[in-house]
Amino acid sequence: MKTSTTTVGMIANPASARDIRRLVAHGGAVTTHDKLNRLQRVLAGLAATGVERVISMADQAGIMDGLGRLAERASAEGWPALEFVDQNIAQTGADTTAATRAIVDAGVGSIVVLGGDGTNRVVAAASADVPLVSISTGTNNAFPRPVEPTVAGLAAGLVATNPHIRQAGTYRAKKLIVHCGDRVEEALVDVAITDTDGVGAGALWDSTSVSELFVCFAEADAIGLSAIGGHVQPTPRRSPTGLALVLGEPVATIVRAPIAPGLVEPVGVSSVSVLVPDSTVVVRAAGGVVAIDGERMFRFGPANRPAITLRADGPVVVDVTTTLEHAATHGHLAAAGVVGRGIRPGHEALPTPVGATKPNPRRYQREDTEPTRPLHRNGPHQAIRVPNPAGVPR
Amino acid sequence: MVRIRQYESRILQEYHADKAPAWDIGAGLIPGEMHLSAGQEPAAVGVCAHTKKGDAITAPHRPHHFALAHGVDMNAMTAEIYGRTTGLCKGKGGHMHLFDPENHFSCSGIIAQGYPVACGQALAMKRNGTDNVAIAVAGEGAANQGAFHESLNLAAVWNLPVVFVIEDNDWAISVPRAASTAINSNADRAAGYGIPGVRVEENDVEAVFEAAGAAIDRARAGEGPSLIEIHTLRLWGHFEGDAQAYRGADLDTVDERDPIPRYAAALVESGDLAEAQIDDIKRAADAEVDAAIQFAVASPIPAPEDALLHVFA
Repeated sequence: MKTSTTTVGMIANPASARDIRRLVAHGGAVTTHDKLNRLQRVLAGLAATGVERVISMADQAGIMDGLGRLAERASAEGWPALEFVDQNIAQTGADTTAATRAIVDAGVGSIVVLGGDGTNRVVAAASADVPLVSISTGTNNAFPRPVEPTVAGLAAGLVATNPHIRQAGTYRAKKLIVHCGDRVEEALVDVAITDTDGVGAGALWDSTSVSELFVCFAEADAIGLSAIGGHVQPTPRRSPTGLALVLGEPVATIVRAPIAPGLVEPVGVSSVSVLVPDSTVVVRAAGGVVAIDGERMFRFGPANRPAITLRADGPVVVDVTTTLEHAATHGHLAAAGVVGRGIRPGHEALPTPVGATKPNPRRYQREDTEPTRPLHRNGPHQAIRVPNPAGVPR
Repeated sequence: MVRIRQYESRILQEYHADKAPAWDIGAGLIPGEMHLSAGQEPAAVGVCAHTKKGDAITAPHRPHHFALAHGVDMNAMTAEIYGRTTGLCKGKGGHMHLFDPENHFSCSGIIAQGYPVACGQALAMKRNGTDNVAIAVAGEGAANQGAFHESLNLAAVWNLPVVFVIEDNDWAISVPRAASTAINSNADRAAGYGIPGVRVEENDVEAVFEAAGAAIDRARAGEGPSLIEIHTLRLWGHFEGDAQAYRGADLDTVDERDPIPRYAAALVESGDLAEAQIDDIKRAADAEVDAAIQFAVASPIPAPEDALLHVFA
């Protein structure tokens, strides 16, 4: 059911950032209190862009109750109306899947996700084409980029309220599909083949156990297994290809990669090849455990070797920087489109200071972005056509 | 885990056998309260798989699983539960007061009291220059006690080799966590004392094994205390005779969350265990439990004139 009210979804994983990597590495704590604090900042950003309604995942772990309490406080005046998905709680990833589906069905304009790579993976699998704004509250966070939640809220609100900003500020991410017997899994960052004995505590931090690694993107400044690829052959998240790496003997090169917070390890890389979309690679190992986005998921044997396929049709993702720059250079963050403290609907924007020249949006244009159109003069809803960046399917 | 389950199942049976038809908690061969640990086996087994001679455990009022997993003699423990002179405390402690100096195992009915004791044990280990660790076990309700917070603070200040284990079985007797605790995971509380805190979900013995191993390795290496909260399951009542009316719909899914059949099925599926071995393991455990109960029942009851021996004050 579609709604005419501008609505944004929120998924906050109450269980993120508590796994074994606080013991075997130096993963930090992101407490429930911290998550609630970040959600407050998101809501402030959403409110400032005119979002009227927010639908959030339900839980029994303190997020829903905490938000409910905060919403009753005077400081919450101006927040969008806050609702929660009516769902059964299993305290597993199934809660996130069910909530995402319900939020998508409600017709939201974007979804704000608080979690790590694992949380985003689960949301992405059910998010259809709703743009995701990801805020890192996990341990290894290659998929979510560091962002201030207030700014993330602004970006989510701008994308939800303005189709032109959505067009300019979003892109479609890649994903990896893992086929193993009847099992099909999706990864947003990486798939690792390990020789660990079992799934154990889930999180994977021992790079010596990894024999093969497949990555959607590999950034040299990433944390986690994908950093291995990033240090061998950087592969941007918006490029069309991925990487397949064979680790261990015979070692062709050794890189020092940050595998987990505070854990930088020498990793021997035997070979690297480029993964192109829609081509399938069958893993070499005759048995082991498959780890998806840093989390050991299932065992396999010689009768059901996993096959990995890079696909271009991953989730739609909000590039927060591009979104805010686009909004700023097109006047969407000026008084007309912004509702919040100090600037209210109907009020004039601040006058241009005496002696100042008219702002030229091109001055703020980054070199790696497409040309920006001048400020439009016919109201904020005038269509602004922006060509697709090369190689990014929509 | 099967050995513990068979033990608890048999104690359950023996405990109730002579308390009918009129329920009398003081009647029968095992008088007094009884808190059984069925469903919480993954916590004890995953942690104690890493303990060695000289390591200490302080357990709470529900102690049997940790006692057995840590290596407390089943005969002496059972005799204590039956109140016999051959018991760990010569029959004067009962099931909530199992003290085994040889294995540095103790437990208590006083909530969270094992935490400061573990700090003392760990201080001794540190000063003696050993690589032993002290493991303090308590339930999630105990994490609201002052002793819990004071112990985490002291252990962090003195960088003691302690692993604090919280068994979160969702119920502090009849009180759900949300009604008594301001936060949803006690692992978060570790941050307040500058030590690592992790939470293990789904009552998974392999996940507990890895997390506990990492925490114990840290402690042995002089890297200080840590906290592990294990989301586990209280399969039966808080105490035997507890009708659990307060538990509502939570009870409906208890059987399907039983960790032992689930783990057995996973091991069979992965080829690590044959179906026939499951019965063999149960039979071996039953035989050991039978022998322990026979030992206890055949042992003498303390003489009335010894009432003031081996006690304080």
